[in-house]
Amino acid sequence: MKRVEIRLSLEAVTPLLAVMREAAASLSDGLAAANTLGDIEPDLRETWLDELLGSQNDAIAVLLGLFDDEFEESGVIGFDAGNAEPVLRASAALRLRLRERFLTALSEEVLESGDLEVDSLEEPARRAFMCYLFLATLQELIIQHLDASILEG
Amino acid sequence: MAEHEQGSPEPASSTATALEPRWHVVVLNDPVNLMSYVVLVFKKVLGFAEAQARRHMLEVHEQGRSVVWSGTRERAEHYAFALQQWHLTVILESDEAR
Repeated sequence: MKRVEIRLSLEAVTPLLAVMREAAASLSDGLAAANTLGDIEPDLRETWLDELLGSQNDAIAVLLGLFDDEFEESGVIGFDAGNAEPVLRASAALRLRLRERFLTALSEEVLESGDLEVDSLEEPARRAFMCYLFLATLQELIIQHLDASILEG
Repeated sequence: MAEHEQGSPEPASSTATALEPRWHVVVLNDPVNLMSYVVLVFKKVLGFAEAQARRHMLEVHEQGRSVVWSGTRERAEHYAFALQQWHLTVILESDEAR
């Protein structure tokens, strides 16, 4: 099984973990992406939303699980076919939530390009934007190295 | 339904199918999800080839929306749910509502 390991700077990443955990907690009872279910039957709608919420939070638990005691000692996180998909999805959920909560003042162009002088932002937007970029980097690494594993899974 | 399960004549089944509206799975643009991520999701969920996935991703990006699948309501709901699990913004539209 192909595995990708990344050594992260504890000094740089540790402050972002609190942002990630706070965003994750805010998603415990709500979905990250706004979705219109149209005229879906009420019974199906309830099941649909419950299953989406369960799936979302299971994936977030996998992502947060990367930053465990071992990570705090070594600074290393690893991806493989077993966790790549939930980490990708959880990163998307957290990025959507960070945007909604802290980054609405930023233009779509800036959000898409990430091209912004981070120090120009005030807290808490500054740390949220750094976390937003960090999660995008994780996604890009997974897609670059584990695309085939995800598609075959 | 009972008739269908018992093997109703083909013409009746075809008529019923013809009267059902087609449902469309529509993905809407968001400024957050990475282009490479959206391409991967289209390949994974919808079975698109790379070029087809990129074409739909660019349509979403440039025009704000893309119809990624059309057909029966049941299958449309299946795909919408799967795409929502990946946090894409998805709506369902029927021919009747258009």
